[in-house]
Amino acid sequence: MNVEREIVVPEAPDEVWEALTEPERLEEWFATEVELDARPGGEGVFRWGDGDERRAVVREAEEAERLVLDWDDGGSVVLELEPVVGGTRVHVVESSPEYAPALELHALSLEASEARPPTPAGKTAPPQAALAWTALAAA
Amino acid sequence: VDGARGGVDRVFAALGDAGRRSLVEAVAARGTATATELAAELPVTRQAVAKQLSALADAGLLRATRAGRETRYEVTPEPLEDAVEWMVSVGAAWDERLAALRRSLGDYGKSRDTLQPRRRSRT
Repeated sequence: MNVEREIVVPEAPDEVWEALTEPERLEEWFATEVELDARPGGEGVFRWGDGDERRAVVREAEEAERLVLDWDDGGSVVLELEPVVGGTRVHVVESSPEYAPALELHALSLEASEARPPTPAGKTAPPQAALAWTALAAA
Repeated sequence: VDGARGGVDRVFAALGDAGRRSLVEAVAARGTATATELAAELPVTRQAVAKQLSALADAGLLRATRAGRETRYEVTPEPLEDAVEWMVSVGAAWDERLAALRRSLGDYGKSRDTLQPRRRSRT
C-alpha cells in the first residue's frame, strides 16, 4: 500500500536535492537527528523527538532526480525531483508491503458481500469500511 | 500509530501462511463458512481447518459466531481499518514534512542570499 504526496517548490532541483540528502538540512524538516550517507548502499539513521528511530539503506541516489530509501521494517520511500516551470516538483511515495494482503482480502470480502443477497441475520461489511475501500481504490 | 502497526503485524503474521491465507479467501468468497463446509472443498481435514479458523479469529481476521453445534466464521473489516489508519497517519506526516521542507528551503535561500551575492541556480 502506498501513500503519495506531491508539492512544487520555487527552488531548483539541485537546491532541493541538498535538502533531501544533507543530514543537517534533513534535520530542518524530516527528523530531529539525522545521519545519512546518501549514496547507493549508504546507511541512514533518523531520530525524532518522541524517541522514535528509523533506520534505512539507500537503494538509489541519482543526484537532483531520485532518492530511494529502504526502511528496516520492509517499507520504502521514493523521493523524485522534476524541474517544472517556476521550480521543482517533489513527489513522494511511501510504501508498506505489509498492507497489501489485508487490502486484497478486504476487497474480496466486499465483493462477496455485494454479490450476496442480504440475509436477515447476515452481517455485511459496514458502510464505513466500504467507503474507506472506495477512497483507497480512488487514491 | 504503534497500535495500528501492532494490529497489522498480527494480521500479517496470521496471513504469512499460504494455507491460512487461502482459508481466509475461501471464507471471504463464501461470505460466511463453517469448518465442515470448508473442509468439504479443501484437501484438509475438518479438524485442521477448525484449528486454523480459530487462530485466524484470534488474530482478528475472522469473526466467530456459534451456530448450533458449529462455529460460523466471517471476515472482519477491522484489519483494513488499521491499514487505513496507517495510510492517514503516514499521509499526515508527509503533509507536515513537505510543508516544513518548503519553509526550510525558503529560509535557507534567504539566509544564503544575505550572506552571499545573490545566486540564481535557474538561469
